[in-house]
Amino acid sequence: MKRLTIPLAPIALLPALLGLALFRVYPIVLAVFESLFSTFRGERLFVGFENYILLLTDNGFWQSLWVTLWFNLIINPLQVALALLLALMFVQKVPFIGIFRFLFLIPIGVSLPVAVIIWRIMLLPDGLLNGFLGALGLPPLRFLTSPELALYSIIAIATWKGISYWMIFIIGGLQNISPEIHEAARLEGASSWQRLWLVTLPLLKPTLLFVLVADVTINFLLFAPIFMLTNGGPRNSTNVLMYEAYKSGFVFGDMGRAMAIVVILVALLLVIVGLQFWLLSGRRQGAAS
Amino acid sequence: MKIRTAFATSVVAFLAATGTAQASTTLTILMLEGLDKGAMEAVADAYMAAHPDVTVEIQALPWGQFFQVSDLRLRSGDENIDLIYTDAPVVASYAANGYIAPFGAEIEAQARETLVASAGQAGTFEGELYALPMNSSAQVLYYNIDLLTEAGIEPPAGLTADGQASADDIQAMATEGRWTWERLVEAANAVTKTEDGRTQTWGFAFEQFGELYQLQPLGASLGGAIISDDTMTAADYLDGDAWRQAANWWSGLFNVDEVSPRALGFGEATQMFVNGQLAMFVGGTWNVPAIAESDINFGIAPHPRFAEGAAVTPTGSWYLGVHAASPDAEAATDFATFATLSAEGTGIWFDNLNQLPTTLALLEAIDTDPAYDAFPGSVMRLSAWESRNTAQPRPVTVAFSQLQDAFRTAFVDIANGVDVDEALVTAVDAYDEAARRLNRQ
Repeated sequence: MKRLTIPLAPIALLPALLGLALFRVYPIVLAVFESLFSTFRGERLFVGFENYILLLTDNGFWQSLWVTLWFNLIINPLQVALALLLALMFVQKVPFIGIFRFLFLIPIGVSLPVAVIIWRIMLLPDGLLNGFLGALGLPPLRFLTSPELALYSIIAIATWKGISYWMIFIIGGLQNISPEIHEAARLEGASSWQRLWLVTLPLLKPTLLFVLVADVTINFLLFAPIFMLTNGGPRNSTNVLMYEAYKSGFVFGDMGRAMAIVVILVALLLVIVGLQFWLLSGRRQGAAS
Repeated sequence: MKIRTAFATSVVAFLAATGTAQASTTLTILMLEGLDKGAMEAVADAYMAAHPDVTVEIQALPWGQFFQVSDLRLRSGDENIDLIYTDAPVVASYAANGYIAPFGAEIEAQARETLVASAGQAGTFEGELYALPMNSSAQVLYYNIDLLTEAGIEPPAGLTADGQASADDIQAMATEGRWTWERLVEAANAVTKTEDGRTQTWGFAFEQFGELYQLQPLGASLGGAIISDDTMTAADYLDGDAWRQAANWWSGLFNVDEVSPRALGFGEATQMFVNGQLAMFVGGTWNVPAIAESDINFGIAPHPRFAEGAAVTPTGSWYLGVHAASPDAEAATDFATFATLSAEGTGIWFDNLNQLPTTLALLEAIDTDPAYDAFPGSVMRLSAWESRNTAQPRPVTVAFSQLQDAFRTAFVDIANGVDVDEALVTAVDAYDEAARRLNRQ
C-alpha cells in the first residue's frame, strides 16, 4: 500500500490552530495594541506605556489586584481540595452513594447566571439562609452587602457551582490508577490513609495539575457573579481586576486603561500558571528519577 | 447604505409606482424607559401628525444601563441613532468626544429667546449649543398625612389636594415652613413600625438611592462642594467637614435610626409610598400624577435642609442632542427644536410629564396664571420658586461618570454600614485618579 504524501497531522490540527489564533491569540494581540492608545476628546492617540505607568500610582488598581490575588488564594485550593474529596467519595462503594452522586452532579446542569440568581434570592436579608439562621436563634447576616462577607459569599457560590465539574476530571484520574497497584499496597500492609498519601495522590498529580491550572485560569477571569451580585462593592471588597477592567472600558469608556489592566491580568496568569507547572511537574520528575 | 434607508428607498419606489410618491425619513431617539418615554411618544405623535413623511421611533433603555449603552452606541458611530436623550452633566463629555453635533447660530438665537438662560447654558460646550433641554427638574418632600397624624406628628406646611397656594403662600412655605432634616428624622422615627424584626412601615426614603443628583443637597446645605472649582480634585471637598457631616446623617437613616429601607430600586420608593408602606420621601415632581391617582391622603412640602444649613435643591435634567453620525441630521434637528422650543412640543411634554419646564413662556404662566393656584399646579409653582432660589446644578467635569459612580458607591456602602470616612476617602481617590487621567495633556 502506498503511503499518503499529504501531511495529515497539520491538516487535522488546522481547525484547532485556527480557532486558537482567532479566539485566543488575536484578542491578546489586540488588547496589547489597544493598551498603547488613549482617547482624548474623541481623538485616539498613541500614548506608549502611559496607561501602564498611570496604573502604578493608581490606588483603585492596586486594591483591585490585591482583591484578585486574595480571592484566588482562597478559592483555588478550596475548590481543588473539595473536588478531590467529592471525587474520592464518588468512587466509594457504600450504601445510598447513588443519591449522593446525583446531588453532586446537579450544579453542573445549572447555568452560572441561573445559579447566581437562585443564590441571590437565598442570600437576601430575609431569604432562605437567614431564615435558617433565625430558626437557630442567630441574627441575620448581610451576605452580599457587608464588606466582610461579600467576597466569601461569592467564593461560596462559585465553589458550589465549580467543584462538581472539576470532580469529574479527578474521577477520570482516579479510574486511571490501576487496581493492581492498590492491591499490591494492601498486600504490603498499607493502611487506607497510607494508600491515599503514597499511592493515590502521587499518581493523581498530572490530573490535579491540569485541574489546578484550569481552575486558576477560570477563577482569575471570573466576572458574572460579581457583575450580577455586588458590582465590585461593598467597599470594593469584590472588585476583582476583571470587573475593574470592565468598568473602566464599558462604563467609563476608558478603553486604554481597561486594556492595560487586561494585559497585566493575562501576564499575571501566565506567570502563576508557569509557576504551577514548574513546581508540580518538576517535583514529579525529581521523584521519578 | 443603512438597511432602513434601503427599506425607505424601496418604500418610496413602491409608492412612486403606485402614484402616491412621498419622501420618507425615520428618526430614532435613544432614550430612557418609563414616564419620559410616554411623554416623548406624545410629542412624536404630534410631530408625525404635522410631518406625515417622518416616522419617529423611540428606543428605550432601563436606567441601570442607559448611560453605558448610549456611550457605546454613540462611540461606535451607530448610524441608526439620530437623537440622543441625555442628562445635563454628560453633555460636556458627549460634545468633547464629538458624539453630538452643534445646532448652529440660528437655533442658538431661537433658544436664547425661548429658554431660561441657565437651561441653555447647561447644553452649551465651549461656546456652542450642543443639546436642547426637554425640561428642568425639582425635588419635593412627599408625606402621608394619615400616617404622620396617627403617629402624633403634625405634618409640615405643604400643598394638599384641596388647598390653594398663591405665589406669596409658596414664598412663605419655602422660607419659613421648610422642615429640617433633623425634624424629618424625628418624624420618621415616630412613624417607622417594626414587627418581629421586619419593618412594616418605613419613615423616610430618597427616591434615587445613593445618587449624586439626589444627595448633592445634603452636603451643599452645609456649604460643601463635591469637587474643587478647577475640577481636578475631590480631596478636602467630598471628604471635607460638610460632606462628612452629611454622610453621617445619611448613615444614621440606615444604621442608627433604621427608618429608611436599604437599596431601593428605580421607582420603588414611589410604589411603597402609594402602597402606604412609606410615610415620607423626597422625590421628583414627576411622581405627582401617579400618587394623585392613588387613595393616599398626601401632601407636598419644600425639600428639607439642615437646621444649621441653607436650603439647597437638585436641578438640571434631560436634554436632546443630534447624533453626529446621523444621516438625517436636518430632520433630527427639526424634531429637536419642535420638542424643546416650540409652544406645541414643550406644551405636550409638560402636560404629559409634569416636570419643571425651561421655556420662559411656560414658567411665566406657572407664576401668574391662577390655574396654578390649585393643586397640583401649585406644585409646579413651588418647583419654579426652588429653581430660582435654591437650585444647585451638578458639577461639570470631564470625569462626571466616574464622579457619579464613586459617589454612588460611597453612599451605598455607607448605607450598608461601611465607615463614613473610609467610604468618602475611597471615593475621593477614585475621582482624583480619573480626573488626573482625563485631564492629562
